[in-house]
Amino acid sequence: MSGELALRGVDKRYGDIVVLTGASAAFEPGRAHLLMGPSGAGKTTLLRLLAGLERPDGGEVTLPSGTRLAMTFQEDRLCDNLTATANIRLPHAHLRGAALEAFLAREREALGAVGLPVDSRPVRELSGGQRRRVAILRAVLADADVLLFDEPLKGMDEKTVEQVMDYVCPLIAAKTVLWATHDPREGRFFPDPTLWEVRDGGVFHL
Amino acid sequence: MWGVRLLAVCFWLLVWQLAAWAIDARIILVGPLEVLARLAALATTGEFWASVGLSLGRIALGLVAGIAAGVVLAAAASRVRVLRELLAPLVGALKAVPVASFVILVLLWVSSSSLSIVIAWIMAFPIVYANVLEGIEQTDSQLLEMADVFGVRPLDRLRLIYLSQVLPYFRVAVSLALGLSWKAGIAAEVIGLPDLTIGEHLYDAKVYLDTPDLFAWTVAIVVVSVALEAIVGRALDAALARWEARP
Repeated sequence: MSGELALRGVDKRYGDIVVLTGASAAFEPGRAHLLMGPSGAGKTTLLRLLAGLERPDGGEVTLPSGTRLAMTFQEDRLCDNLTATANIRLPHAHLRGAALEAFLAREREALGAVGLPVDSRPVRELSGGQRRRVAILRAVLADADVLLFDEPLKGMDEKTVEQVMDYVCPLIAAKTVLWATHDPREGRFFPDPTLWEVRDGGVFHL
Repeated sequence: MWGVRLLAVCFWLLVWQLAAWAIDARIILVGPLEVLARLAALATTGEFWASVGLSLGRIALGLVAGIAAGVVLAAAASRVRVLRELLAPLVGALKAVPVASFVILVLLWVSSSSLSIVIAWIMAFPIVYANVLEGIEQTDSQLLEMADVFGVRPLDRLRLIYLSQVLPYFRVAVSLALGLSWKAGIAAEVIGLPDLTIGEHLYDAKVYLDTPDLFAWTVAIVVVSVALEAIVGRALDAALARWEARP
């Protein structure tokens, strides 16, 4: 777990299904990497390997030491019984006093910016689209060095996408971002993104 | 809906009163009017309130201790496999053995005045233990994965992820335990006969064939049970809602 954010000769299979075979890629820090490829090609597996949620069957996955991670998943993965602000603040749940107030103010501003209500409802009462935005904000405000996004804008309408990305882009501009998507047009959100394709068990620089 | 419910209650009260008049034997059945009068008379005596208070206090003590033990041991058992396997037969036995057997057995060990405390504990503990353990086990593994990725601190994980998943289970368990402990505690008093308790008065009513007293005390037990359920239930719901609404 030291050095660069990279895969070296990584094999990964689930039972008989081979997802990655000898996949290698090094992700340059401080910039956005767009991971494209057909469904089931292994984009999610790649992100899960980098997040430490899966172990490679062969090869190695490395991260710079002390890396703080944030991620959005295929699912929202919110605590249903907590408010939007409590969910977003989960990685900072230890904050107290003035630091807490300052972070809360930031959260409220963020919720407003992406068109979410600021209220005391638990998120189980929010719609699917609203929950997705909460999950995105949790990742963006987590104060991480490396952000992993697994098709975060899937199913979101065009207008909401613009609204969300207007807020999100400046915040993640200088960070290492891995952005899995079906839609190559999402590259427009990042200055000069690195394009990758995940297919046939490998990760290829385009 | 409320009107229909009220009408149904009135119907059965009327049937009860008519039956009492028809049977016309106070030892077998007394009507609701007479029961109400008897209860009103009882309620003016200090002994009535002292008895209700003493029964309630002891059973509440056992209940709270049972809830506390259930929560602590469920949390421990969810972490320590051995403890969980060790407790399984004990909890199973506590649930399966009839309360009357426990009452007689426990009377051999403790004084009759402590009996209802122990019985209330025996009723509450397995319910709370099983429900809270279930809640912990059901905690979404996807949320725990998420917490791993974000590096959520252990205390925050416990406080927010586990707690938010377990609280609804806890809420149900407390409601169930409350009703059961109260009824079983009174039943224990009827057998153990500690002085100045509801159970003792029920027993006296039986011995002296004082059916109005029997009915009046029974009504008092039901009223306390319903009131407790409503008060505790509402307090828990309010606390839960407040906890969920935190920013």
